[in-house]
Amino acid sequence: MNIFVTKRDGTKVPFDANRINRSLERASKGFENQIQMVTQIATETQVTIYDGISEREMDEATINTALQNVSEDPNYDTVATRLLLKVTYAKVLGDYDKDDEEAPQKLHNARFADHINTYVEKGLFDKRMQEKFDLQELAQVLDVTRDDLFAYTGLSGLLHRYALKDLNQEPAETPQYFFMRVAMGMSYNEVDPTAMAKRFYNKMSKLEYLAGGSANMNAGVPKPALSNCFLMEMHDDMTHIAKTVGDVMLLSKSSGGIGLSLTKLRASGSPLTSSNTVSSGPTPFAKIIDVAIRAIQRGGKKKGALCFYMENWHIDFPDFMEWRQNSGDDHLRMRTADTAVFISDEFMKRVKINADWIMFDPKETADLNELYGNAFSKRYQEYCDKAEKGEMRMYKKVKAREQYRQILAQLQGTSHPWLVWKDTINNRALNNNTGTIHMSNLCTEICLPQDKDNVAVCNLASLNLAKHIDENKKEVEWQKLEDTVRTMVRHLDNLVDINVLPIPEATKSDTENRAVGLGVMGFADAVEKMGWSYDSDDTYDFTDKIFEFISYMAIDESAIIAQEKGPYMHFQGSGWSKGMVPYDSIAILEKERGFELSVDKESKHKGLDWSILREKVKKGMRNATLMAVAPNANIGLVANTTPGIDARFAQVFSRNKISGKYLDLNTNLVNELKKRNLWEKVKGKIIEQQGDIAAIEEIPADIKTIYKTSFTTDPLAYVEVAARAQKWVDQSLSRNMYLATRDNDDIMNIYTTAWEKGVKSTYYLHMKPRHTAEQSTTSVNKSTAIGKVGFGAFKSRFAEVRQKEELATMPSVESPLKVAEPSSVATQTPVTNVAKKPFVCPVDPAERAQCDSCQ
Amino acid sequence: MLLGKLTEEDFNIYPSKYPWARELYEQAVANTWFPHEIPLKEDRDDYDSMTEEEQHALKFIMAFFNPGELMVNRSIALGIYPHIKSAECHLFLAKWMWEEANHCTSFEYVLETFNFDREETYGIHLNQPSMVAKEEFVNNYTSKMVSEDVDVTTPEGKKDFIKNLIATNIVTEGIWFYSGFMVILSFRQRNKMRNFGSMINWVLRDESLHLKFGMNLILNILEENAELVTEEFAKEIKDIIIEGVRLENQYNKDLFPNGILGLNAEYVNQYVQYVADRRLEELGFEPHFNVSNPAKWMSTSTDVLELVNFFEQQNTNYEVNNKA
Repeated sequence: MNIFVTKRDGTKVPFDANRINRSLERASKGFENQIQMVTQIATETQVTIYDGISEREMDEATINTALQNVSEDPNYDTVATRLLLKVTYAKVLGDYDKDDEEAPQKLHNARFADHINTYVEKGLFDKRMQEKFDLQELAQVLDVTRDDLFAYTGLSGLLHRYALKDLNQEPAETPQYFFMRVAMGMSYNEVDPTAMAKRFYNKMSKLEYLAGGSANMNAGVPKPALSNCFLMEMHDDMTHIAKTVGDVMLLSKSSGGIGLSLTKLRASGSPLTSSNTVSSGPTPFAKIIDVAIRAIQRGGKKKGALCFYMENWHIDFPDFMEWRQNSGDDHLRMRTADTAVFISDEFMKRVKINADWIMFDPKETADLNELYGNAFSKRYQEYCDKAEKGEMRMYKKVKAREQYRQILAQLQGTSHPWLVWKDTINNRALNNNTGTIHMSNLCTEICLPQDKDNVAVCNLASLNLAKHIDENKKEVEWQKLEDTVRTMVRHLDNLVDINVLPIPEATKSDTENRAVGLGVMGFADAVEKMGWSYDSDDTYDFTDKIFEFISYMAIDESAIIAQEKGPYMHFQGSGWSKGMVPYDSIAILEKERGFELSVDKESKHKGLDWSILREKVKKGMRNATLMAVAPNANIGLVANTTPGIDARFAQVFSRNKISGKYLDLNTNLVNELKKRNLWEKVKGKIIEQQGDIAAIEEIPADIKTIYKTSFTTDPLAYVEVAARAQKWVDQSLSRNMYLATRDNDDIMNIYTTAWEKGVKSTYYLHMKPRHTAEQSTTSVNKSTAIGKVGFGAFKSRFAEVRQKEELATMPSVESPLKVAEPSSVATQTPVTNVAKKPFVCPVDPAERAQCDSCQ
Repeated sequence: MLLGKLTEEDFNIYPSKYPWARELYEQAVANTWFPHEIPLKEDRDDYDSMTEEEQHALKFIMAFFNPGELMVNRSIALGIYPHIKSAECHLFLAKWMWEEANHCTSFEYVLETFNFDREETYGIHLNQPSMVAKEEFVNNYTSKMVSEDVDVTTPEGKKDFIKNLIATNIVTEGIWFYSGFMVILSFRQRNKMRNFGSMINWVLRDESLHLKFGMNLILNILEENAELVTEEFAKEIKDIIIEGVRLENQYNKDLFPNGILGLNAEYVNQYVQYVADRRLEELGFEPHFNVSNPAKWMSTSTDVLELVNFFEQQNTNYEVNNKA
């Protein structure tokens, strides 16, 4: 077949296999089996191309072919990454001699100033990007070797999602230009902007921390919207409902995720005095929002995203619980927005003793939304008493435990509503001197107050813990960690003064509170590097130690900045101003609850003198909040590590994302297996077992202990890690949950334990799927699995027939990639297997009820 | 006995004789999904930006899939359901048929959203010789089961039953549909048709269960009717599958007259042969084609557990029917 390649200018040239080979040789340089890798990719690429293919598609074809071999060896990922980098360099910096290894570095340095100037002139960059900096000096800092830190998924995510785009929506930035833009975009107001930009750049480009998504997208542009989270309420009047719809759209457009509380909306059937009719309740208004955020796509970068909050004493809460079901009247279902329930201690206590739970119309019980702790309990009981006496217009009584079970059943089926604890949040807050916290945000890690005039705002960045572990010594690099934390607090505090937000209520809250959320990612990665499993005591104590340290340094830095630049506006009256630090609020929570948290309260670090810090804090804090651990689903990938505090999902799995579907293979495990010469033997089995190595005989027990999947990890470990971290974190953590059990009592126990240990919030619940599609690339045989032989009873005779047949039909089987020898036959099931049927539980529901194993 | 003339006792769900069928039914119910859960706007934009060859391939596949789903339904209704003497199996067959109907309307939903000329699209399978051949192939086996004098208590009747089941379940669903899924999922691999890809995930999850059921049915019937397992009949069955592959190879030429990025007719043929070998092995045969899987990327697409960024993609892993 004669294949021609269509060049960028439209001319056609014959396909040149050698050109591909050369480019693959460069990309696989340094690997032991380089020749084999080149041959493999080149041969497989040739099968996928066609006559008339464009140059661009040729690049895409080689990259995709490299990628489909990642399960063989993660080095193929490096090849794909290098190929993508080359394409990107050429696109952004212009064509260069690919054999000149120094060229990318030289071009980066030489073209940087031009690059900035060009985009300032085009109006895509802020003028300050030009005026405030010594561009030549910054150009010399750029270090292209740091591109080696990327894995393919992260690099492609960075280019697709965060990099500046040209008019054709193609990336117009290399990764190092990207990091420098973000660094500069946070440094305008410094005394020496160039020096500070260098400091930020050096940290981010080494992936030691990364800015939040909005900052990555918008830093450096004119009127930059840099906030990640917004928290707002919808008030119970039509004007404010309409305003909220508009505000949600504007905030979504500027790329933030939104938490929106609907607790204040009167119930369905509640009277409207103005028209003498009745209200339709919260659901139809929520639907408007649900549809509105779909309209906001932000250039394909990220969809509008919002989470509705409601307290579970609202009489329409039973409807709210069902919003995320897939079946049912579309007008009563939310297809895009998420839901979370805001739960009081009073409810949890009633669940424990199986007491009644009464739901009300907020029109009659408006103050409940503002109260928390004992004040809430007292008022709630008064309303209950009134209801029993028939003095409430509307109410609905259920058993608290029954509603709790319903919440958890919905959670299991639809992953919603997420459970967030109102009283834990408010009793432990140091920042609610300005008002009650009515909700958390989209990812349940933010705890900020809001009202009609204040839309709470939080600004995020995440520290990559895995980059602060000395792998050989299995030690934390404390000094580097301190330096990173202090740098991040500067970065986040600077952001507030540069930020441009679309609605005045958000700007007000942002500038008056300067709330920031320093997060942590790469947690599971770091734990693996330390040699522990996620569900071990070592890990729990490590969590404690790390978060205590990060919290201490972050608070200290904020207090130092307050001395330089002054405290935030609402500092007076805050918990901080009373000399309190986050840990001190545990006592308040326990006092309100009337019993102690069941978490270990001791400090595991022991080297930090909090009393000195308390004195310092009392004098002033620059920021109302310091820490919040976001899920980092995207920047975690860019940083080539595990997102947030998530456990390893599986040793191999796929990520289904807006930028495509990628294979994620745990390189920590692969390196360990390679060290012991096991990788080649077990790699196929790891896929076959869907990334769970527990049943693979060849892998020794000490490795199996460390590398579990999120479904074989003890679910209480998710609770314990969050509870230990929560002691020190002033806001909250996005706590993804993973469950293999579908038993409602187990699930109840897990979530109740979370509350008892003082966890403030839980996030998305991933249930282990019971049935997945048939695997395609591994050998599966259903007859073997069910112990039947089918036509195999005649196997031996068949084998002869086949041989004869094959001789006759051989030439007609055309296949470009014939395997050398017939694959091992999977049909050699001994017939005796049929006799050895394992014990199987009955399927009939009535029989199941009597089966010991099922109970 | 699974196969035979129906008696009143066969309406009894208890005592359970084939618990695997009940178990598969429960799973099938938990797998329930609806097409409108998948938003397709971005996919429509993708479609508009695709080359003519790529658009042709998508249209061509849907032109076959849509009537294909209903062809399977006809075969179940007329050729399989009436002859099975197990209430548990009837439960599964009923859900199976609903799923085929759901797939049919799902593809219809895609056709409508993409603004295909439906008359033209639905016309393709009536005139395109390679598609006509595939449909005739299956319908021939189903027609035998429709005839008045079919008697599944005789060896001949039993063989006709199995042949129809093989043509419907193993060839149509287990080979032809699978190759179509691979082609559609390959677009997602290039970051196109992502949401349509999520829908295909669901369809594939359903079809995997159908295959599991079909395979169980065939293997159990063979075990209960050991006299059927003759060399001659085995050869006949194997030939049906090989003929199915030949027809698919013809069809692939029309699917990809030239090829698109990442795919061409030979590539898809090889995948079809690879899948067919797997089906043969599951039925107890030796593999016939002995080729490797060219679509290694399917390991990312279907073989490992998927972690969905739920802000960006529909999570297709959840199940319904949870109890409080």
